[in-house]
Formats: sequence, C-alpha cells, structure tokens
Amino acid sequence: MNSKLSYLWPPILIAALFLGAWQLLVVVQDLKPFLLPAPSLIASEFSNGATLMWGAAFYTGTTAFLGLLFGTIAGLFMALLAQRFITVNKLVTPLAAGLATVPIIALTPILNNMFNITSRTPRVLVTAIIVLFPIFVNVMRGLIQVNPLQVELMRSLNAAPRTTLRILRIPNAIPFFFTGLKIAAPLAVIAALVAEYFGGPQEGLGSRIASAAANTAYGRAWAYVLAAIITGLIFYLAIIAIERLVTPRSAQLHVKA
Amino acid sequence: MASTRDRISNGFVSFLWALAGIAIIGLMWELTKLIGTIIDLPFNTSNQAMPHIWTMFSAFSLPEVRGSDTTVFQAVLAASTYSLTLALGGFVIGVSVGLLLAIIMQRFLFFERGLLPFVIASQTVPLIALAPLIVGIGNQISFGPIQWSTTYSVMFIAAYLAFFPLSVGALRGLQAPSSTSLELMRSYAATNNKVLWKLRFPASIPYLVPALKVSAAAAVVGTVVAEISTGVRGGIGRLMVEYARETTSQPAKVYVAVFGAILLGLVVAAAITAVDVLLTRNLPKKGLA
Amino acid sequence: MTTTFDTGSALAISNVSKVFNKGNENEVIALSDVNLNVHTGEFISLIGPSGCGKSTLLRVIGDLTGFDSGSVQVSGKSPEDARKERLYGIAFQQAALFDWRTVSKNIELPLELAGWDKSQREVRSAELLEMVQLSEFGNHRPWELSGGMQQRVAIARSLAVDPPLLLMDEPFGALDEMTRERMQNELLRIRLDTGKTIVFVTHSIPEAVYLSDRVVVMSPRPGRITAEINVDLGERTETTRESDHFFHCVTSVREALRLHDTSGTSTSSFRGEV
Repeated sequence: MNSKLSYLWPPILIAALFLGAWQLLVVVQDLKPFLLPAPSLIASEFSNGATLMWGAAFYTGTTAFLGLLFGTIAGLFMALLAQRFITVNKLVTPLAAGLATVPIIALTPILNNMFNITSRTPRVLVTAIIVLFPIFVNVMRGLIQVNPLQVELMRSLNAAPRTTLRILRIPNAIPFFFTGLKIAAPLAVIAALVAEYFGGPQEGLGSRIASAAANTAYGRAWAYVLAAIITGLIFYLAIIAIERLVTPRSAQLHVKA
Repeated sequence: MASTRDRISNGFVSFLWALAGIAIIGLMWELTKLIGTIIDLPFNTSNQAMPHIWTMFSAFSLPEVRGSDTTVFQAVLAASTYSLTLALGGFVIGVSVGLLLAIIMQRFLFFERGLLPFVIASQTVPLIALAPLIVGIGNQISFGPIQWSTTYSVMFIAAYLAFFPLSVGALRGLQAPSSTSLELMRSYAATNNKVLWKLRFPASIPYLVPALKVSAAAAVVGTVVAEISTGVRGGIGRLMVEYARETTSQPAKVYVAVFGAILLGLVVAAAITAVDVLLTRNLPKKGLA
Repeated sequence: MTTTFDTGSALAISNVSKVFNKGNENEVIALSDVNLNVHTGEFISLIGPSGCGKSTLLRVIGDLTGFDSGSVQVSGKSPEDARKERLYGIAFQQAALFDWRTVSKNIELPLELAGWDKSQREVRSAELLEMVQLSEFGNHRPWELSGGMQQRVAIARSLAVDPPLLLMDEPFGALDEMTRERMQNELLRIRLDTGKTIVFVTHSIPEAVYLSDRVVVMSPRPGRITAEINVDLGERTETTRESDHFFHCVTSVREALRLHDTSGTSTSSFRGEV
C-alpha cells in the first residue's frame, strides 16, 4: 500500500508541476496561442471538438490498424520462411537490419502513384511495410534463440523440423513477437499519420493538424495532437492487454513441451 | 583483434547478400510490370506509376530543372547531405540530453519514478504530430539578434525523437553493474562521480549501443518527416515531395530522391555500426550464433 | 604455518547485532550479539550454513552494510573510517573484474581511486601480477582468462593498496575442486609473503581448516557465533590434507556445525548412518 503510493506520487507530482508551470507561463507571459496555447485552452478545444477529434482519430487509427495487421502477417510469414530456408534468411536479414535507419515513409509518394491516391490503400501499404521489419526481426530472433539443450532434446526424440517448430520454436518466439508488436504499434500510428502529409484524403489526424496550424487555429491543432497521443496510447495498451491474455497460455505450452 | 576483423568480413558478406536481395526486389518489380501488361492488376503498372529500373537509373543524370547544369542525382546528393547534417545535429543534441536525463534518473530515485513513466509513454505516442506546431513556435522565438530558423525546428524534432529511446537505454545501462561491482567500488571509498565514470558508464556500453541505433534511426526518420511536415527546403524530405509532384512529366525523378533517402539511412547505419565496433571492441563477444 | 602474528588487534567486534526488515513480518535477525577478536596477521574463516550471517558479518566489517548495535573496530577505527582510509581489500565469489579494462588496469583500479600516479600504478600492478603468477597476462582482457586466473586477478586487486586486512567472501566458491586446492595454496603463500590479516568466508569445511588459524562456526536463526576452533596444523605441505590431524580438525568443525543444526531430527538419523 505504502510502497505503491511511493511509486504513484512522483509522476503525478511532476505532471502537475509541468502542466501548472505551462499554464502559469502562458498566463503570466501573456503568450498568444500561436506561440503556445495554455493547457486549459487545449482541453476546452478538445472537449468542444470531440466529434471532430474522434472522427480524425478513427480515420488515422483505421489506417494504422490495417497497416499493422497486414504488416504483422507479412512479417510473421517472412520470419517462418527465413527460419526454414537459410537462403531467404541471408537475403532478408541484412536488408532488414539496414532498413532500420532508412526513412521508409519515403516510399509514400511512389505508392501514391501506383495506387489510387484518393484511397486509403497507399497509406495502409506504407504502414504495413514499416511494421513488417520490427515484427520480422523480433520473431526471427525468437525462432532462432531457443535453448540449445531443448533443441538437443528434440533431436534425441527424432522430432521433424516441423514438429520442433511447432512444439519448441513458435512458443519460444511468442514473447519476442510481442516485443516486436510493442515497437510496431506506435510506429504504425506514426506512419499512418505522417503518410497523410504526402497528399490524399484530408480526414485524418495528420492532415487536420497541418491544416489547423496553417489556419492559425493553434488551440485546435494542439487538441488534435492530444488526440494523436491518445490514439497511440490506445494502440500500445491494446497490445499490452493482448499480451497479458496470450502469454499465460504460451507459458503452459512451454511446460508441456 | 581478429574478432573485429571477423566482424568486418562478416559484414561484407551480409552486404553482398543484401545486394542480392535488392536485385531480387528489382526483378520482382519488372516481373510485376510484365504481368501487369498481360492481366489487369489492382494497381497501376504503367511506366508512369512504375517506371522501369533502367528508367530510374537514367533519371540520375537528368538535369535537375530544364537547362540546368546540375543533375538530379547531384541535387539529391546535396539534399541528402543537408538532411544528414540536420539529423546529425539533432542526434548529438538528443543523445546529450538523453544521457544527462539518464544520469539524473539514476542518481535520484524521485526523478526515476517521476520521469521514467513519461519517457516510456512518450515512446508509444506519435510525438511527430507536434512537428508542424514546433515550427509555428520556432518562428516566434529569437534570442537577442539570433532569429530561430526553421532548420533549428527540424533539428529540434530530430533531437527529441532521438532523446527518448536513448535515455531509457542509458538508464538501463547505468543501472546494469552488479551489486558485487558496486560493493567493490564502495570498498574503495569511490565517490559517486568516480563510480559513474569508472563503472556505470563503461558497464552501460552494451545497453547504450542498441539505444544509439534506435536513436540514430529516430533522428533520420524524424529529420525527413520534419522536413516533409514543416516544408523546410534544402533537405531530402522536401525534395521528395517536390519530385513526387512532377510524376506526370518526370515519373522516374522521385525514385532518385527515394534512393537518396535510403542512402542517407544506410550511411547512418554504417556510421553506427562503426561506433558499435569501436565501443565494444574490448568487450566479450556475445551471441555469435 | 607458524604463529607469526603479533598480539595487536586487527579486528575487534563486540556485541554486534543486525536485523533485516525490522518490525516487518519477515524480520530476520542476521546477527545476534556477535563477539570476535582477530589478531594482526591471523587467518580466520567464517563458516556456517546459508543464512547464518557470515557474509553479513564480513560486510559489516567492510562497512558495506550497517549494524544496529554493538561496536566494530578495524585496526582501532570505525568500519567507515577504515573503508575511507582503504585499510582493507576485498574479494568476492564473482571475480567482478571489469570487462572493458585489461588485467593490469583492473588491478590498478583501486590505485587510481586512491590517487596514485600512472607510473607508480604500473610498477605496483606488475609486482602484483608477478605475485599471482600472471605476468604474461597483463594486457589480456579478463574474459579471456579462466575462472581460476580471474580469481587470482581479483586477489591481486584486493592487495593493490597494500591494506593490512583482506576480506574474502567465498572467493573460490565457483571454482572446480582441483583449481580450488591450487588457489588455496597460492593464498597461503601470499599470506606468508605479505603477513596480511585475513577474514575468509566459506561453505567448505576442509577449505576452512586447511587455510585458517582459527575457524569461527556460525549458525542461523538468529545468526550468531556458536564455536571457535583453533587449527594447529603448522606449516601446510602436500601431505597436510591427508594427515590424521587434518581429519581430526575437519571432524571437530563438522561436529560444531552439526551441534547447532536446527533441523534436529535429520541430524540424529544422519549420525546413525555414520
């Protein structure tokens, strides 16, 4: 009880101090909203425009979700393929490592040309490509980094590679998969949001922030940023929740193996 | 040391495989175009949307604008170099601030408990959404005679994206020394600063290097995205947007810009790998398998 | 081993008590009314089952942890002053060498912190490397060395500032039996060369007997000293470990440990089987 409290009060105190100082700075210095709107203004813009915020967040969130879904499926598939075929592994792994620092979002204009720019498709695709790599890298790690003693055990039992994969490697990879997802989910939201800056439909958070800022409606722009932050948090927390649901079962699988 | 040489030669082999991987992607690209001429694919495979690989390469030597002496490739290279400078500036600032924060969090439990939740949460939210607003703020700031320029805004965005992953990794590293090592330092009556320099910093290297990689990636992506969302001229982000608008007349041009962005990322990846080899050369090699 | 130590007091511990998690439901009396005096140049071992407080006592002496009541004097000073004046060296079960430093630089670490000049440090580390017979390995990295060699480096490091007292917490606990016996002989040789006072924590009865002038037996719940056994084996030779007198001493320590074994029933049944 006491120890829980000692973990809770510092972040709350710091958040309160930060917001208080921000509000005070804006009020005392009489800062104009275009420079820095007060937290109170952002909060009121947020609650006044709730339906707008929700709509934009829903649009960008859907793009991010679809991208995350397709990217995850592709990443899993590639990891299984690379684990099975050493050539695929050698071809893909260095590419995946090199692409970590590449701004993949740069593919958006190309995809906008190939697909209908007025649709969501190019944005979902670029999100999926961005998501694919952290999923691939982490799942691959999980499939390969198994306890060598357990591999020897499977070998002593004359288990086929497919059986080893099912009984040993896949359960071993589940925690790694969630590590990958926890990296990928925020990336998906960022990608979906930034892809909107390359033109196309104007319904999403990225477009709204940019246009609100361009129209000097800074309070509203910050409120959209708040909506984007909440969207990101929802994605992350959803992954954590799924992980909590799934992990005990995978642990049971482990014991059986 | 031989192991360092091994790592370099392994790296070269990986590089060759990566080239093979890229070649296969190129083949698939052309194959897709070929199939597109036979059956109806759900996307545009025309030369305008998907130029031939050789058209892309020929675009490298096109004049940047009609009648200009500089080629597209030279323009892209200049823009990538400019973006690299901004990313590097942001990276250095972000890493310095991140390290400082990690040291403060390690030293004072209050700050660890008070700040760490926000640092972690900030990695899960799209802070990049702030980019257009940062520019708005930046334009209003001046320090005496020095006027804030939009390039500072780009650097600032790159810096704050680089800062978060680094501070988490560095904190984990600073907390890595075993209780035995810490007792040893205590038995020498070492001051907190000595413990930091002689034990915590060196012990944090294995945690710091991956954090540096993430931060470098964040700085590059942050720079390009910031350039796109703030419209700052001179960098590869803005150039991509400009070339993307010219696809009707010069469809292959944008690919040169994308190539530039990839090159930028690879240069940074290579630099970070060099830093990795340098920093970990005296450490046991783990996980060679 | 002839009794070369003088009558000076290296360590005086009286009525020391220490409680972990005081007032909590998992309160543990780590040390209860411990009294111990160690002469300058004496080699004593602390032995007992886990939880008997032997490591805690060592940490109290080194001021790595505090105590609740009683008094501790290290060379006539408080443990804190003794630590700050670098009056003791310490070695642990893990060698705890720093991977990023060469073997020499590891040995020089305490000297750096004590503010020695670079040239002085190099001379001293070369000296110590010779003492632990690792002269060729000064420029190696610790992780290139075997476990026994790493522990020798750790012992050299503990001797670096030439402190009068050595605290050793199961330093050979992670080594294989053969290496362990070799290390014990080396430690005795170093002791003979340097005349250090040594407080040695161990789990192993033969190790305690072979090394020490006096074996201090401790027992848990509460952690306390239950027996002190003087070992009068004289100079250790190759045949010491096989001598009747050695076995006699081992048996005395074993019986002292058994006497206070709190799991009483198993003790009597075990005694029956012997």
